[in-house]
This record gives sequence, structure tokens and C-alpha cells, in this order.
Amino acid sequence: MAAVSDALLFDDFGRCLPTAAQSPAHPRSRRYFTLQQPDIDYGASHARLLRHLGAGETVDAAAFAARAEAILARLRADPATAAITRGVAIPFILPRLAVDDMGRPLDERFLPALGRAFEETYPDYRFTNHNVGGLDGRLHIHPDSRHAGLVEAMGQAERVGIYFPALSEYSIPAALEQVAALPRHFLLAGGVDTSAALISAPGLLLRTDTYPPLLWLGALTSDQPGVGYHFEAYGYNLTFNRRPHLGQAAEYWTCGLSVLDGD
Amino acid sequence: MTLIEAEASGLTASESAKRNDLAARKPYIAEKLRNIAAMEERGEISPIIRLEKSYLCNFQCTHCSAEYYMDRHLEKVFKIKDERRKIDLDDIRRLSREADELGLARFVITGGEPLVMKDFDAVVEAIDPERHYIITDTNGWFLDLERAKHLKAIGVEKVQISLDSMIEAEHDAFRNKPGSYKRVMRAIDASLEAGLNLILSTVLVRGRGKTDEFRSMCEFAKQKGIGLYVSYAKPTGSCTEHPEFVITKEDADIVRELEKDYPVFTHMTPSYGSYKGCITVKGIITVTSTAEITPCPYIDFSLGNLRDTSLKDILARGMRNPWLGPHRPDCLIGEDPKFIKIHTEKTKGAVHLPLPWGQGFSDNDSLLDD
Ligand code: SF4
Repeated sequence: MAAVSDALLFDDFGRCLPTAAQSPAHPRSRRYFTLQQPDIDYGASHARLLRHLGAGETVDAAAFAARAEAILARLRADPATAAITRGVAIPFILPRLAVDDMGRPLDERFLPALGRAFEETYPDYRFTNHNVGGLDGRLHIHPDSRHAGLVEAMGQAERVGIYFPALSEYSIPAALEQVAALPRHFLLAGGVDTSAALISAPGLLLRTDTYPPLLWLGALTSDQPGVGYHFEAYGYNLTFNRRPHLGQAAEYWTCGLSVLDGD
Repeated sequence: MTLIEAEASGLTASESAKRNDLAARKPYIAEKLRNIAAMEERGEISPIIRLEKSYLCNFQCTHCSAEYYMDRHLEKVFKIKDERRKIDLDDIRRLSREADELGLARFVITGGEPLVMKDFDAVVEAIDPERHYIITDTNGWFLDLERAKHLKAIGVEKVQISLDSMIEAEHDAFRNKPGSYKRVMRAIDASLEAGLNLILSTVLVRGRGKTDEFRSMCEFAKQKGIGLYVSYAKPTGSCTEHPEFVITKEDADIVRELEKDYPVFTHMTPSYGSYKGCITVKGIITVTSTAEITPCPYIDFSLGNLRDTSLKDILARGMRNPWLGPHRPDCLIGEDPKFIKIHTEKTKGAVHLPLPWGQGFSDNDSLLDD
């Protein structure tokens, strides 16, 4: 793991402070659209990831738990990053997969797997992919997102990681600016890691008491400037969709950070 | 659009048929409506304009959001007459032109009860039914077949009829008007026979979503093949005195689940995969009888007066306001406790609503306290 400065990078709730963002990001949050840390049952998550995504063939449940906990321990050990572990943290496994197009694996593997995992866990509710026409060739990694490192890593072996929805109330441009100022092991989340995290914890966006935020795939640019892809709750249901963000920030919008083991 | 094209676009066959019919009769409006999705993708907005030309009403409903705007309220509570200058037909013509220039395409005539307005036909003409898709709200009392045919003939495309309960006595009690349920049923049949597009609208008070009565209203709408528009009770207007009416997230989620089986929707219901959430400014504005523009039917803060400020500038003000512009999934005035508190405190004791720009909303608004 790369050396980091002692400056605080996250607030007491694990939100990344927008210290380096020039583009729109709320300096503080009133914490209106929030997520709750789900109970992590590594055995159940592993079984779901294996059953639906085919992830975890070479990493068993015990190794998944050990490697994910090791990521958290290393982050906790650093005063600058310790606070991120007080926020929501979802362990996931990425399958070994060579990816040359960011859209196709989502269409063919990750989103269908998420749909099955969600509806298996919540048979009364639905996962709906509203994207018509397919994602093949439509999604690209933003060069400033560090997401290419994640894709490269999953091309070599199954990887364990933690997804942190820590960039709440950031515009996507601000998330890209901020990630450049974070230690190198923080990668802006895109489609495969966010999907894997939701398969690991299908109820992340299911809240009965308040409204959870929308989760952008901030690392991915679309074929249309200012338009992005995201996961969003609708009542107790889960959706995948696209919408214009136009470089703006909203209280309701969150981008995620991923940290992989071994980085 | 052929049936196959309609299916590919995600439209139902009946929606596609309605659009084809409109395109044949009013191609200019159909084209503007078709452009809305592309405008939104570019970050432009195309709100529906609710026009409250007059608050006259033959009913006195328990949950009315307009009650505090009415002359009868000012006279009864404050013993005064509203001396503010009222919107006239020239104002409406100008608004219609400004809206058209911005690509806006839809007007809802509301009130009060629009069908008691003596100048209703003149208002439709001033809006211009060849330029804008015109909808009218109504409690249905005066909507017999003859009136429905007349509405269609003067260019009204759609009516929204209020129905508050499938239990006749309950509806009549809520509306404080015996016989009103029977008139609604008559109005439904008259509208369908006259070829008007029709939706029912109903107010959801806390807990109603779980009742058999609400389920039977959903069934009724399904059998009739008409949409049921659900509006949440908000802590404004007459409901200020009925905080127990205001819904919870559970109520909203119950409606979201019912959408799977019934033609029931709120204005936040996604349409053909487009999730808009709260539509303040982005999808709706209200023009009050004093030419003030509010961002939603239930928020009594103005974004500006059409006589002083252009529609374009007022919409821009609204979109840069942190409460109103950004995308959000919940009802700002119905569900966000912080905004509800601000709204309640600022409007408490106010004689004239809405509060002018600067007194309710301003360019200094913040989501945080400081
Ligand atoms: S605040 Fe938003 S969701 Fe609520 S009534 Fe107004 S426009 Fe609709």
C-alpha cells in the first residue's frame, strides 16, 4: 500500500472530504440520503458471488474474509484513511476476467448476476435494467479514474476488494479530481466493482425508513458527454439506468471508491 | 409510429395510438412533446405549467392545497380583500408565448374549480390549444356530456377528475359536498364518450395505501382503462391543520409497489424508464392568480413574478436553488422534514401567499443551517 500523508481525507462518517475538488461538490453534508452498513456475512456473500457471478472459485469464503479484513485493517492503521472504515464498506470479489470493453461484461454477466442475486434475496421486489439497446461499446474508462488498474488486476486473477460509497454529494468531475489526490490504492468505482458489491450485499439500496442515494459508476464515461450510468432504488426495487449529470453535484448522488487487496 | 416501432420505443399500443392521433391533429405540439426527452438529456427543462387563474370553487375540501389562496379564506380569517393585481388574459397570452419560445408544451388549468370560471374558454384560447397541450383539473361537478364535448371542441385534450374515495359517503364527506361522488362517475363516462383523455386524481393521506378502499380504486381505474394519479397529502393549505394526513415513506413505497399491477402513478413515477423524482421546476411550475411562479403546487414560496421577471429567468432561479434544482427521489414538501419546517415557519401567519421571491426562496438558500 502506498505511503500517505497524515492529512485527514475522510470525515467521521467515512465521507471523503472534497479537499482537491474544483468541480461541484458539497463541502459538507447534512446526511439526508444515507446508506446503512449491512451486516456482512462473508459466507453468504461468497456463496452469492460464486452462484450468480462465478466469482470466488479460487478464493474461498475464509480467504475472502481474511483478505477483506486485511484491507480494512491497513486502512485503519493509517490516520489519514482510518475514518473511511467508519462509513459503509462492502467487500466483494471480482472474477478473473479479461475485459476489453466495459459495457459487454456488464450486459452479459454482471447485471444479470445482480438481478438474480437481488431477486433471490428479495423475491417480492425487482431488479430492472432500464438500459435499452445494450452497453456494448458505449462505456469507457475515464483516464483519471484509476479504474484501468482494477480492470487490469481482474484480468490476472480473482481479486478481493472493498467498495466504499464515500464520495457522496460530488459531481462526477469532482470525484475524478478528488481521487487523483487520494493515495494510489483508492480507485474510482465503475460497473464491475459496484455490481459485485451489490451482489455481495443486495440490500444496500433497500431502505424502508429513508431514501438511499443513487450510486454513479463514476469511473465510466458514456457515449454521450454529461450522461452517466447508475444504480438507484425505486421503493424497495433496484434499477440500473442512465441519466444526464452534466457535471453537477446533488445531495442525492454518490460515487464510490474501491480498494483492492494487494494494492 | 407503427406498432413495432412503438414496442421498440417502449410505448404501449394505446399510448402510441394517442400520440399518433395528436400528431395528426396538432403536429406542432406533438413535435414539442417528442423533443422533451432530448431537451432533458441536454440539461434543459420543460415543466408543465399549472395555471391558477382563479381560486373560485363550489367545494370546500378537507385537504385543499389552494384554500389559503382563496378570497373566502382571506375574508373569513383576515377580514380583508386581496388587492393584489390579478393575472389577466394578456398575461396568459404572454406566458404562452414565453413558454413556447422555451420549448414548453403543456398547461394545466387548475384553481379553484376551473369549470366554474366564466372565462374558461377565453383562458383556453389565450393559452392557445394549437401551441400547447391543454389539460384541465376538475372536481367533475359540472362535467356532463355536453360540457365534455364542448371542452374537446375548444381544444382541451385531457381532464383530471378528482376522486377521493370509492366509498360514496366518504368521498362526499371529504369534499363536503353531497352528491359529488355521483357527479364524478357521470363526469368519467362523459369524458370518455367525448373522446377526452382522462385521468383520475386522488389524494393519498397517511395509511390510505393499505386500505381495501384504495385497492378498489386501483381496480376501478384498471377496469375502466384510465390512469389513477396519486397526490400525497402535504403539510400545506388545509392540511396544515391535519398533520396526521401527511404520508410516510412507507405510504409512498406502497404506491410504488401497486404501480406494478395497476395504472396508478404519482408525478414521480418513472415513465418509460425515465426516473425524474421530485419535479419542482424541472417538471412542474405553478402560476398563481397574482402571476407569481411557485415550483410546485404545494410550495408557497415564489420564484418571481411574471410581470417583473421573464419566465426564462425565473426558471433559471429555480434550477440554481439547492432545494429545487438537483435531482432527488423524494417529495420535498411532503417528506423532507427540514424543508417542511422551513416552509411551515416562514408561511405561518402569512396573509398573502405565495411569499414573494426573497422572503421564501432566495439566491442565498442552503441545505445546511449556516
Ligand atoms: S415537492 Fe416535488 S414531489 Fe412533492 S409535490 Fe412538489 S414537485 Fe411533487
